[in-house]
Amino acid sequence: MGLLQGATELFPVSSLGHAVLIPSLLHWKFKTSDPSFVPFLVLLHLGTAAALLIIYRQQWVAIIRGFFTAAFRGQIKTDSERLAMLLLVGTIPAGILGVFLEHSLKSLFANPKAAAGFLTINGFLMLGAEVLRRRAERRAAVEGKARVEQEESFGTAEHISFRAAVLVGAIQALALLPGISRSGVTIGGGLLAGLRHQEAARFSFLLATPIIAAAGLIEVPLLFSPSVPLGEYFAGAVLALGAAYLSARFLLRYFRSGRLDPYGWYCAAAGLASLVLLTFNS
Amino acid sequence: MRGTSLAAGLVALAVVFLVVAVLYALGILQILVSDTHASHHYTHAVLFVGLAVASLVGANFARPKRTT
Repeated sequence: MGLLQGATELFPVSSLGHAVLIPSLLHWKFKTSDPSFVPFLVLLHLGTAAALLIIYRQQWVAIIRGFFTAAFRGQIKTDSERLAMLLLVGTIPAGILGVFLEHSLKSLFANPKAAAGFLTINGFLMLGAEVLRRRAERRAAVEGKARVEQEESFGTAEHISFRAAVLVGAIQALALLPGISRSGVTIGGGLLAGLRHQEAARFSFLLATPIIAAAGLIEVPLLFSPSVPLGEYFAGAVLALGAAYLSARFLLRYFRSGRLDPYGWYCAAAGLASLVLLTFNS
Repeated sequence: MRGTSLAAGLVALAVVFLVVAVLYALGILQILVSDTHASHHYTHAVLFVGLAVASLVGANFARPKRTT
């Protein structure tokens, strides 16, 4: 589960959807309705957040320093300060929606069919984002150029508008639905806001870190219950960290010229196949 | 003038958020919570403290700056 979560969290294929679907399809002795299931997933998410902090450690130092400098000065002067404020305004909507909607959506965690349905929707959302991106490329008249050159005609994360950062942050809350990928919708949102694929992935990963870490830290006390096998769960978190680190490295390299299409097709196909299997197995 | 009013409004909003955070932390406020019998709602309290900080940062950005 640790490897699965770490690998699927950053890939735009919905880790939560896979965490609900795969144990159900493979008949693993894993009760998604178990009270320790969500804290376990949160611990795995902490492993993922740690991987992102390791990858972006220098940027996070600059972002935190930039946040305090800009906040006390009341003015943005550098790219790091702007990125810090973009992450702040992007985190607020996801935080509000996450805190107020999480409980009402928890019931969906135990529903593999809902996860399969949302996974299919997730696939079509990413394919739709790429269709719109190709239109933007046609408008920018970069269609015939090499992919790396095409990408260079789009922006970097530091130059996204504040309105776009709020919108990308708000759609991040869709990932509370099992099957909707946080990175998928935020990378898609970043593309629509005019970011390069690699920059949309970087913004998505940076935006995810405070939310994942905060959600994890809040749920951690639930793990210290006598019924929770803490050693096994911790080993899962370490595996999640390793898998997430390798996934992030791969994705940042892939998105230099790659698109969301393969992940979109995978999610649509896996979601539909899971729906069929779950319907006939039940 | 507009900046001053906006900054004052954001400071007032920050105070409201802080009061709401305290009420959630003490369990007095039970709106939109998962367990209405719980005595503390620290997740909600942390969220509102975050919103208060964001409002104060916004107020500092909105206030008129002295030109040198």
